[in-house]
Amino acid sequence: MSKIKLAPNASGTGTLTISAPNTNTDRTISLTDTTGNIVTTGDSGTVTAPMLNGGQTGSAPAFGVRAWVRFDGTGTIAIEGSGNVSSLTDNGTGDYTINFTTAMPDGNYTIATAMEQFSTSSGRAITCGYQNGTGDTTLSTSSVRVQTKMTESSFALTDFEGVSVVVVG
Amino acid sequence: MNSNKRILWQTEDGGVAIIVPTDNCGLTVEEIAKKDVPSGRPYKIVDVSTVPSDRTFRNAWEYQA
Repeated sequence: MSKIKLAPNASGTGTLTISAPNTNTDRTISLTDTTGNIVTTGDSGTVTAPMLNGGQTGSAPAFGVRAWVRFDGTGTIAIEGSGNVSSLTDNGTGDYTINFTTAMPDGNYTIATAMEQFSTSSGRAITCGYQNGTGDTTLSTSSVRVQTKMTESSFALTDFEGVSVVVVG
Repeated sequence: MNSNKRILWQTEDGGVAIIVPTDNCGLTVEEIAKKDVPSGRPYKIVDVSTVPSDRTFRNAWEYQA
């Protein structure tokens, strides 16, 4: 039988209290067979890549996605999946605004985009971020506007069957 | 479901922008309209079936109150 050992800290004077929740159900906290620290909500900034439960390796920091959306930009435009996105504004052909449910902390985030065209193999696609001519050097914290264009149509704004946008920052 | 609705609002050039609301954001379509339609722009909430699916002349669409 393995044992549980509580180790007081001889240098400290505070009392560590483990408090029970208001519950009528027995609960068990299970520990993994490794040495390490338990991270609490008070440990802001100490969650490291190996703690993300995705088999990450290395010690480079990992950053979370702040918002994402995948939608069909043809026909009746439909959002197929999203996170932290309240809506998508169709501004016109190949021109969309992604509206965030919760705003970004500042306008220095970055976006990654991809387009898919299922019905034809021709036409290479590009996308670009768009800022409404305000002279700002940062993006809006509440939304981001993207345009999708086709290189083989003289860079004309074009609707695509699959458009993905990921916001990191 | 929010996704069965569309929010139409009039752009400054007389065209129409169409908001596609999500279902998983915790907001109603009315709350999304208040948040995502630019301040002062007229808008209306319609069923998705009223929006044309043929986008050939999308940029020529106009807002009708």
